[in-house]
Amino acid sequence: MRRPAEVANTRAGTACAHCGLPVPASRRREDGPPFCCGGCEQVYGLIQEWGYGRFYRFAGQHGRPLEPARVSGRAFEELDDPQLLAEFSDPMTQGRCRTRLYLEGVHCAACVWLVEKLPEAVPGVDSVRLNLGSAVAEVVWDPGRVALSRIGRALDRLGYTPHVHRAGRLQESRRQEDRAALVKLGVAVACAMNLMFLHGALYAGEYSGMASPFESFFRWVSLGVSLPVMLFSARPFFQAAWSGLRSRVVHMDLPVALALAVAFAASAWNTVRGSGPIYFDSLAMLVAALLGARQVQRSAQRAALERADSLRGVAFVEFARRLTGESLDSPAVEVDVHRLSPGDRVEVRSGELVPVDGVVLAGRSSLDNAVLTGESAPGPVAEGDAVNAGATNVGARIVVRVDAAGEKTRVGALFAIVEEALARRPAVLQLSDRLARYFVWAVFAVGAVTGLVWLPLGPAVALERVVALLVVACPCGIALSVPLAVSVALTRAARSGIYVKNPDALQKLRRVSHVLLDKTGTLTQGRAALVRWKGSQTSFDLARALEEESAHAVAGAFGATRAGRPRAVRAVSGVREVAGQGITGVVDGSAVAVGNRAHVEAARAVVPAALETHAATLAAEGLSPVYVAVDGRVEGIGGIGDPVRADAAATVSALRAAGIRVLVLSGDHPRVVAQVAAPLGIGPEDAVGGMTPEAKRDFVARLTAEPERRGSVVMVGDGVNDAAALALADVGIAVLGGTGASIVAADVVLTREGVAPVLDLLEGARSVHGVVARNLGLSLAYNVAGAGLAVLGHVGPLLAAVLMPASSITVTLSSALSRTFANGTAKARAVPLRRES
Amino acid sequence: MELIFVLLPFALLFAGIALALFVWAARSGQFDDLDTPAVRILFDDETPVPAPGPAGPAPPARRAGGPDKEGP
Repeated sequence: MRRPAEVANTRAGTACAHCGLPVPASRRREDGPPFCCGGCEQVYGLIQEWGYGRFYRFAGQHGRPLEPARVSGRAFEELDDPQLLAEFSDPMTQGRCRTRLYLEGVHCAACVWLVEKLPEAVPGVDSVRLNLGSAVAEVVWDPGRVALSRIGRALDRLGYTPHVHRAGRLQESRRQEDRAALVKLGVAVACAMNLMFLHGALYAGEYSGMASPFESFFRWVSLGVSLPVMLFSARPFFQAAWSGLRSRVVHMDLPVALALAVAFAASAWNTVRGSGPIYFDSLAMLVAALLGARQVQRSAQRAALERADSLRGVAFVEFARRLTGESLDSPAVEVDVHRLSPGDRVEVRSGELVPVDGVVLAGRSSLDNAVLTGESAPGPVAEGDAVNAGATNVGARIVVRVDAAGEKTRVGALFAIVEEALARRPAVLQLSDRLARYFVWAVFAVGAVTGLVWLPLGPAVALERVVALLVVACPCGIALSVPLAVSVALTRAARSGIYVKNPDALQKLRRVSHVLLDKTGTLTQGRAALVRWKGSQTSFDLARALEEESAHAVAGAFGATRAGRPRAVRAVSGVREVAGQGITGVVDGSAVAVGNRAHVEAARAVVPAALETHAATLAAEGLSPVYVAVDGRVEGIGGIGDPVRADAAATVSALRAAGIRVLVLSGDHPRVVAQVAAPLGIGPEDAVGGMTPEAKRDFVARLTAEPERRGSVVMVGDGVNDAAALALADVGIAVLGGTGASIVAADVVLTREGVAPVLDLLEGARSVHGVVARNLGLSLAYNVAGAGLAVLGHVGPLLAAVLMPASSITVTLSSALSRTFANGTAKARAVPLRRES
Repeated sequence: MELIFVLLPFALLFAGIALALFVWAARSGQFDDLDTPAVRILFDDETPVPAPGPAGPAPPARRAGGPDKEGP
């Protein structure tokens, strides 16, 4: 929501006209609105050009604050590939095509409005429907009038980078399942309601007297109405019980199916012979309640699952710029990575991801391997060096010869491990399911006792009592305990920025023995920042003004520090960048050079002795020193590093206080890892550096294979290199800003900054367990009381019809009133107000 | 009272029609996305409000140069 103060800022020219963030001084202008970055400026311009300025009103009224827009500026030529089109588009009538695109950057209702305006702006687009939850847009377009690449470019220029929605089929089949489950639930509820009225008449008739033809008619109608419930809606229970019996696993569906089958058979028989109790209302109510609880859990889980599905296809590299001619400078065309073959040559521009495994043919640059290896500092590459898919090119353009693309790359292989681990993961037997075995035997035992006690009164009476017992003892409340408690937890967790994809994780998190933390991007912020500064404020301001002209990582580091401090507008001219060294220019009349030692020496600057020793201290701390020379004299030295997150220390100590062993696993140099771990109280034996993605995976596999472990192994990470470890750990947690691979692999995805949500998650998991135990206790109490009454022969259809919903309602209330994750919700709300200290 | 023999099936018939409608709605995907339609309806209400600057759909001349006008 855009607050009044921010609107005032916009007028005063200090807040970005698109996203509302503070605008750096050098970008402020007298003419026209200010923008924090080029992306915002482009998007704002296009929105105004198309006449959709109302977008900002909607964004202010109905949404979260906008984020800075990112425009990739790509041509999206690979979207026009006929093979890709055939694979991911559905033909429609009149030659139209329907294509699903996953859009990056969808955050609020205003985005729906803007994206669905597309048919007005791009001729040939018939309609666009955007699903806010999954960020998937369904575009219906006319291939005869417009190319998909043009639609892609339009979306990109609005700030929503489109991706082919490769998981569309998967999502479609999940959707079909959802619809089928919803239909089953609807049928069960409708029939149960009608049965309640029919049986209401019968119960009333029992007391006030009812003519026999009417009674018989009502009973037959009840039987008819209950048939759809038993034959259609209740099928999942019978199927699950049957498959459980065949694989000799007893879970709660077995006693449920047993009660349903026996009670229905007895009721149907009593209807046919015209006397004896009938339980159709209780049965239908039971089925409706159980299906309802499952539906609630399904929908609580859906948001997290759909987002992850969308990313599953995206992996993280989709396109490559393949050179079209013989020369290394020939123009490139964007193609799908799967269309590349070994020997092809691709160009990688500055700021882009390397799409393939291969060898550099031309160009010099530095590559940021952080998501692949965990190394925080970018490394240089030149002709002849091998590069891996997934690295970010932070320097100049390079040309790479393709050795492997798609699934055959090293990252692709890691991804295959993730998929396999996810597919093989066994389902966790819930507490209630473990209870089921004892429950079945207890019911059989009590049933036998009841039969024997009442046998003297005749077999018919004995049978009637046993059926009554089975109906009352049907573990409806028990079967509801877990789904209800879990769905309340999932919904509350999502509201507090914790998306639980796999609800089994909640059970595994109850007892945790190890927490393994990735370093780069998890414990640290994963981006270069100025963590130390020694020197004058003037030289700092000059350096920052100069660096604002550069796209280099060091420039970002200067900009990220002390952001928002008001500064005078500075005139910058004569900017010159030396790759891998630094930048020079004239700021407000002073010659300024910012860069490494060689760079400032080349600018003939003198380094004072005091700063010289400071540079050595910085280097010893693992930081790279950046010299700032003003008019031929070094006036300040900054230490660039990857700062540790503000909440890391508190989180680690809280985990340790809970008796959990905390380890750091990183691909970065062991020295750097130790420097980050030591202040957090993690000793050198628990801070492992230099780990390849495979080593991380094996480390986790070894820990989880330990037979006598006290609890679950939890892995927290963000990179592609963590993905396999995340998938293999008992519980994998992906932090905010994690790569697509880590989000797909993880059980839990954090959408709140930092690692502190891990603590909330652990606390929430314990709380869920408490609620489940309470629910089970309550419903068991109902069952025991009901069974006692049934053994004594006091249970008729009316009492059964009252007892059953009573236990379900108790369990529902107990779940809804729980405090699970209530704490985290408050914290999530407080986050925007928290300042980093 | 014998009327009940006609009324009850008749009432059930109506319930059946309602149920059939629900099944049709669910199968045709009406309940797939419960969040977006809730916000979509808000925009329609906003339409009559005049926005500052050129509101509504862009004129055709502008459309032609629209999304494909890419910078160098």
